[in-house]
Amino acid sequence: MTLQLRHVTKSFGEQTALRDVDLTVDYGEVHALVGQNGSGKSTLIKLLSGYHQPAPGAEAELDGRSFQLGSTHAARAAGLRFVHQDLALVLQLSILDNMMLGRSYPLGLGGRIRWREAADRASGYLRRVGVDADVRSPVGSLSMSERAAVAIARALSDTGHGRLLIVLDEPTAALPAGDVDRLLESIGRLRADGHGVLLVSHHLGEVLGIADRITVLRDGRVAASLPCAGVDQRRLTELIVGHSALAPDTGARQPAARVDADEHAVLRVRRLAGGRVRELDFAVRAGEIVGVAGITGSGRESLAPLLTGGLPHCGEIEAARSVLAPGRPRGVVAAGVAAVPGERARLGVFPNLGVRANMTISQPERHRRWGRIVRGAERDEVEMWIGRLGIVTQGPDAPMPTLSGGNQQKVLVARALRTRPKVLVLDDPTQGIDVGARAQIHEVIERCAADGIAILLVSTDSDELARLSDRVLILAGGRLARTLERGPGLTAKSIDASQLDLTAGPAFAAAAARSEGTEGEA
Amino acid sequence: MNAVTAPPLRPTRASRRPGHLRPPSISRFSAVYLWVVFLALFGALQFRLFLTVSTFQVVFSQGAVTAVLALAFLMPLTTDTYDLSIGEVMSLTIVVINWLTLHTSLPIGVIAVMAVAGCALIGAVSGFVVVKLRVNSLIATLGMSEVLSAFQLYISQNHQVAGRFSSLFVTVGNGTVFGVPYLDLYMIVIAGALWFVLEQTPLGRRMFAVGGNREAARLAGIPADRIVWGSLVTSAAIASLAGVMYTAQVGAYTADIGQGYLFPALAAVFFGASQLSQRPNVWGTLIAFFALAFGVQGLTLQFGAGTFWASPLFQGVALISAVGIASSRGAIGAGGDSRAIRRLLRSRGPEAQPAAGPDPGASPQA
Repeated sequence: MTLQLRHVTKSFGEQTALRDVDLTVDYGEVHALVGQNGSGKSTLIKLLSGYHQPAPGAEAELDGRSFQLGSTHAARAAGLRFVHQDLALVLQLSILDNMMLGRSYPLGLGGRIRWREAADRASGYLRRVGVDADVRSPVGSLSMSERAAVAIARALSDTGHGRLLIVLDEPTAALPAGDVDRLLESIGRLRADGHGVLLVSHHLGEVLGIADRITVLRDGRVAASLPCAGVDQRRLTELIVGHSALAPDTGARQPAARVDADEHAVLRVRRLAGGRVRELDFAVRAGEIVGVAGITGSGRESLAPLLTGGLPHCGEIEAARSVLAPGRPRGVVAAGVAAVPGERARLGVFPNLGVRANMTISQPERHRRWGRIVRGAERDEVEMWIGRLGIVTQGPDAPMPTLSGGNQQKVLVARALRTRPKVLVLDDPTQGIDVGARAQIHEVIERCAADGIAILLVSTDSDELARLSDRVLILAGGRLARTLERGPGLTAKSIDASQLDLTAGPAFAAAAARSEGTEGEA
Repeated sequence: MNAVTAPPLRPTRASRRPGHLRPPSISRFSAVYLWVVFLALFGALQFRLFLTVSTFQVVFSQGAVTAVLALAFLMPLTTDTYDLSIGEVMSLTIVVINWLTLHTSLPIGVIAVMAVAGCALIGAVSGFVVVKLRVNSLIATLGMSEVLSAFQLYISQNHQVAGRFSSLFVTVGNGTVFGVPYLDLYMIVIAGALWFVLEQTPLGRRMFAVGGNREAARLAGIPADRIVWGSLVTSAAIASLAGVMYTAQVGAYTADIGQGYLFPALAAVFFGASQLSQRPNVWGTLIAFFALAFGVQGLTLQFGAGTFWASPLFQGVALISAVGIASSRGAIGAGGDSRAIRRLLRSRGPEAQPAAGPDPGASPQA
């Protein structure tokens, strides 16, 4: 027995994130930790790495020696190493410099760095994870899987221990499909060298392909902890979601012909590619709400930026009878497409302007007379939107940062709606806002659909998708993998389950095929 | 209105009328108070010399050129772009006008228009470097300023260039109406025009939007690149106008005019950005500039003409404290550069200790 956690509980205020969780990871094994968003995976990893402190009563030991949970230093001293999702690499620096970040270089006479020795050591660790690259080349020149491997090699090189327990948090989320196999190989090498690996992942195909044991977290408890052999993807999905909730597949991949034949479509997308999207065809009719779901890396996160000009695209986007030029948000706005961007603070809010200017910025000309903006008329319009959307603010000229997140979001919704769009693209419109504001925004979305706006709702919130959508497109591997139509089968659980269940592309299939008892293709 | 949301939703709380938005804060008018303090202080110390019509005339007539230069710096700053070449643009204008009056027989009006148009072209080149080549504006315009100073050295051969000017042109630069120097009238006209554009028109809105959040501006359909480019053309043209005003007032070109004028102009804009609307603005800039100018004038009178060191000391301290106050309130530099620097500083944490712990800024997902 290597890493042992017992009775780990953690609450944030009223909410309990983890309840009495036990976990055991051995050396020489890959142990996968799976669960939905909010199941407690992240909290557990953050407890291990010392970012959160557990409630009293938790016990942790590694190699028979107990250590204190919730201390960065203790975790490190005990032999735990972490590779986080963003990898924390500096792309401009060389592989060697990245591996030596925060460490001391071997020094020679007069404090000179012994570069050759440092380079030899670094490339030794790199070879152990299966990367053969010049350690002097910048990390930015490497492929995504090689970068992940460098991050793992760095964790390995920070030793003092013979054997380590390496925690990999979603290492494949950012990887293109072809790179996943190579990274899984690197993980396999760690196991062969006798290290223990705790792997957090959403990709069940990959988990089944590499893991020896799987622990499933659900609602902060351990729902199951079982050897990988003898579990298939369907069973694992059921364990994660809670019960058998797989909706019947209502025709995967709509044929392009049907898209073209659709006379009433306001938004038509043909062979769209760009970002993480590889090839996508769909259409949205006037008055229809089409939801889009998919795990991180599926292309879901790129779709709204592609449609609104934030990312350049290939293929054809036709909105309200005009074809959109790639990467030109001005043309998109002019074509009658309005967007509420994801990442409100980064892509939506102007912190130096007031509510009024923030709301009218897309079309300040509406209240122009003799070249100047007529303040009174503009203020009246903004007051009307404030009343309509129930925006809580000190007034139309309050500085934007004084509003809560939900109210800032409503200002962005008003900005989009006042342009009288024919197509509305919403990217995670209720992320990180309170329940009241969420319900109000949902009401607005439904009303817009009733008024004949074609709505594309990209969301990570399955409840929201199930509540509002006429159909939900499930993306996987940058393609449309499944469509769930409105009906009794369209529930938050079925959306969750479909996202997890779908493995797409040959790379995933290859990973999945390595484990017996796994479905080849979902 | 829009049929989209015609039946109103229930408002969670009735919005309050505008009027009591922000409490009237002292710091928003600190430049005015500072001005009053200088008048009172030096008025008490130098009763006979300081509080006189001539002091006001000296400060206002000497200050007009620098104030216009400050307005040139203000324009690109609203879009979070720095134009440090304005000082050299101004002195290039001065040397070109002087040289052309000596070596051609063109009327001074034509020469002035040519100079301003040429400088607008220089601004267009800076804009190209900043927008198309993606060079940080500080670096691009600093480099441009060296190039422009090379032009000046070439034209002037590192000598003073004293042109021949008509008496009309000299009057244009030195006349007064009811005791108010003409130069201040030009300044007020330029300031009024810029105020109108920045605060009253859709274009001004968009400039501030680009300065506040460039990517959000782009996504909202604003041609952010074109606006930044245009703001650099404008700043060069206004700086050149300041050069025309200087030539009309003083005449001859001497080396190192530009850099000496640049600094007080920057100080005024940054100080002014903490005033009134608490973002870069026209009237705040002018008030801040003349408050500081009176301070400098008072110091000079108090310590005599030998204390030439007093002015730079005062300007330096004023710039640091003004920017310190403004940026600690988040009033200026809310956009690109300083945010990037802050991000860089924050991101040093986890990178310095790669295996130590998670990024505290990481989103708590999954």
